[in-house]
Amino acid sequence: MSLSSHTDPTAHQKAKRSPIPAYLVGGLLILIGIMAVVGFVISVSQDDGIQLALNWTASEEYPEQPSVLLAFLAQFGIVLPLLVAYLSIFFISIGAQVLGGSLRAAHWAQVAYMWLTIGMGITILLTIYNTIRVANEDGVAVDVGALLGSIVLPFLAMIIVGGVWWWLSNHIGMYFEGEDLLIARETRLAWNLLIPTLAIFILVAARPLEQTFIRSLTDKRFAGRGVPQFVGLDNYANLLTVRLDTVGCRLDDDTGDCSVRDNGSIRWESIDRELLQEGYRTISNIPVPFSAGQSIAVSGRDDDFVSAVNTTLIFTVFSVSLELLIGLFMAMVVNSNFRGRGIMRAVMLVPWAIPTVISARLWELILKDTSAGILNKVLLDLHIIGAPQAWLSEPSLQLPAGIIVDVWKTAPFMALLLLAGLQTIPSDLYEAAAVDGASPVRRFFSITLPLLRPALAIALVFRTLDALRVFDLFNVLFGRQQLSMATYNFETLVSNQQDGYASAISVIIFIFISIFAFIYVRMLKVETD
Amino acid sequence: MFENILTNERLLKNIQRILLYAAVIFIAIYALFPFYWAFATSFKTESEMFESATYLPRNPTLKNYEYVFRDSTFINSLRNSAIVSSSTAALALVVGSFAAYALGRLRFKGRVILLYVVLSMTMFPAISILSGLYTIVRELGFFGTPLSLIATYPVFILPFTVWVLTSFFRGLPAEIEQAAIVDGATPFQTFRLILLPLTAPALVTTGLLAFVLSWNEYLFALNFTATNPDAKTVPVAIAQFTGQVARQEPIAEIMAAAMIVTIPLVVLVLIFQNRIVEGLTAGAVKG
Repeated sequence: MSLSSHTDPTAHQKAKRSPIPAYLVGGLLILIGIMAVVGFVISVSQDDGIQLALNWTASEEYPEQPSVLLAFLAQFGIVLPLLVAYLSIFFISIGAQVLGGSLRAAHWAQVAYMWLTIGMGITILLTIYNTIRVANEDGVAVDVGALLGSIVLPFLAMIIVGGVWWWLSNHIGMYFEGEDLLIARETRLAWNLLIPTLAIFILVAARPLEQTFIRSLTDKRFAGRGVPQFVGLDNYANLLTVRLDTVGCRLDDDTGDCSVRDNGSIRWESIDRELLQEGYRTISNIPVPFSAGQSIAVSGRDDDFVSAVNTTLIFTVFSVSLELLIGLFMAMVVNSNFRGRGIMRAVMLVPWAIPTVISARLWELILKDTSAGILNKVLLDLHIIGAPQAWLSEPSLQLPAGIIVDVWKTAPFMALLLLAGLQTIPSDLYEAAAVDGASPVRRFFSITLPLLRPALAIALVFRTLDALRVFDLFNVLFGRQQLSMATYNFETLVSNQQDGYASAISVIIFIFISIFAFIYVRMLKVETD
Repeated sequence: MFENILTNERLLKNIQRILLYAAVIFIAIYALFPFYWAFATSFKTESEMFESATYLPRNPTLKNYEYVFRDSTFINSLRNSAIVSSSTAALALVVGSFAAYALGRLRFKGRVILLYVVLSMTMFPAISILSGLYTIVRELGFFGTPLSLIATYPVFILPFTVWVLTSFFRGLPAEIEQAAIVDGATPFQTFRLILLPLTAPALVTTGLLAFVLSWNEYLFALNFTATNPDAKTVPVAIAQFTGQVARQEPIAEIMAAAMIVTIPLVVLVLIFQNRIVEGLTAGAVKG
């Protein structure tokens, strides 16, 4: 690659360049860097929550002293202070280099000034929007004078930084010297292009996510006014405590054998009374092999959560493997030669395009528990079932029904992903194998599967992660009757208003999914580049 | 004997063809029957809902559609969804194509780390940032307005857009830029005048996908527009559909509403199906 410098057309002016513009540009940047830190410190010291925690006296409303650290973290988090610190150091150091007339630093200063201008503009727009919104909500006319008063300072600031940016873009070569290498230009462009994305990520992903981590250590209520307190790892302890106890079966008084329910399952003794009082509930009993009448009782403090994890895992395993099988079958069919291939590819996108909320309601209709449900009707007509099945209200049929709905929606999608993989396999490979007398089955296992592995791997990773965090489907189909990890999280947060506890659930799901992703990527050696 | 082999082979070929077409028909029924069922139901009368199911409506009626179009919440939700989805798609395309160009074509320190950051953004479930986003949406003053959704949808739209477009940019031959640089174009000019037009098909695809994903989003819409019925989007309106009069669940009307919001989407998908498949696979399958 060429490493040619950006040759300066005004090189002859450099000899008599004035240092004053460089002082102004650099000085202002240093000032902005300092002001950012000062402004941050002032807003921290004036924050209501922090003031409350510092000046606390016992009262009926606030019986316990709020934590200053928590008040700070809840309002400012970790990312924001770090960002302010990093940016002010960056501004000050770049400013100092600009003072010395460095062209490289001046280019970075230009980047900084441009984004400061844009940032100021967005701040002003938000201020105007909120003033109008509040006025509308209160049903009063917008106070134009007050509005202008509140935006005059940011507006002046925007004019100044914008002016500096404009001046720099036009005069940079005249007042600064040094080489501007292609690689440096590329780096600057890259950051300029990435800043919007990063800003959005920080605002709507990193900050909420860090709040989730912070809140998971507290007893915060959702959208509540009360001041939260640190509770350490209590939330996690409550969620994750699982114990295994051996219990015997309940004896039948008549026969002396284990007592059995109508559906054939054995009745087990419950766990110790003290454990029950501590909040343990048994989720399931696993019979001990080779010793009749003994079973291991799996109990947890939050049995809903443990069973939600269980449900989600079962859902994930079954739906992803079914989708894989059906998807592979569909992909192979559509990959062969027949008339109307294009139409088929389009038809396969239909289930994917239907919103999950709608497809859930649609399947509610299909799975209706009387013969008004078309599935029951078809199965009755074909004499596969003798009586209508209550797909959505019979607990043992709910999860299979959910899996059917999910598979319907995503198997064709999976097929399209795999189809693209199939199309990259050169057809002469198959021809050569056919000439050598390899059977179709052999060809599938020796050519198709190995060459399809990258496509399979990525489709599997994406689908597994999606299935682990399934929400819409469970929410619409089952409400609270069958909980997935995400719907349990939602119920805890929105219905029970336990923000702290729900955040701990979120963190666990997050870690869960990360582990899965990591194992998958490792196992399948996916190139993430 | 020679003839015998030939006819055998032909027979085998024919059996294969029949099996293939059987499979094709099976897939078509699999994909379309539930959709057809919703379509048929939307023309049925309310009383028919409780009788044994029939494949065709007994007394086809347009009443359900009439009711739905009179429902102002539903009409509002259509408008909201259109505004939210198109703004989100536009925002994601502009911001996402910038980032994708940087990640796909430019050399700079930290590129690989940033790629991982983008990828990790696709990993956490939306529910885990709901309460944090709720705070932010309130602070910005967007709560209960479509703006709350336009501001938060990039959480799941943008990583995906960046990821798909990055692989498109990477697929373009390196000579293009080298030629442009030799001609004295700045990197941004190369991006805007040469690479961007080349990725126009990819942009259409990604924009469509972004549109469909935002159109279908449920969780954020459910929570951030909870206080304001006028700000509901289509999925929320349909999930909470109550119908004309409070009575049993108005399934036929729901299906009519579902048809109204799904048919445009399906038509869009059918028209652009080639592009969409390309986009999806570029995002997921590389080489």
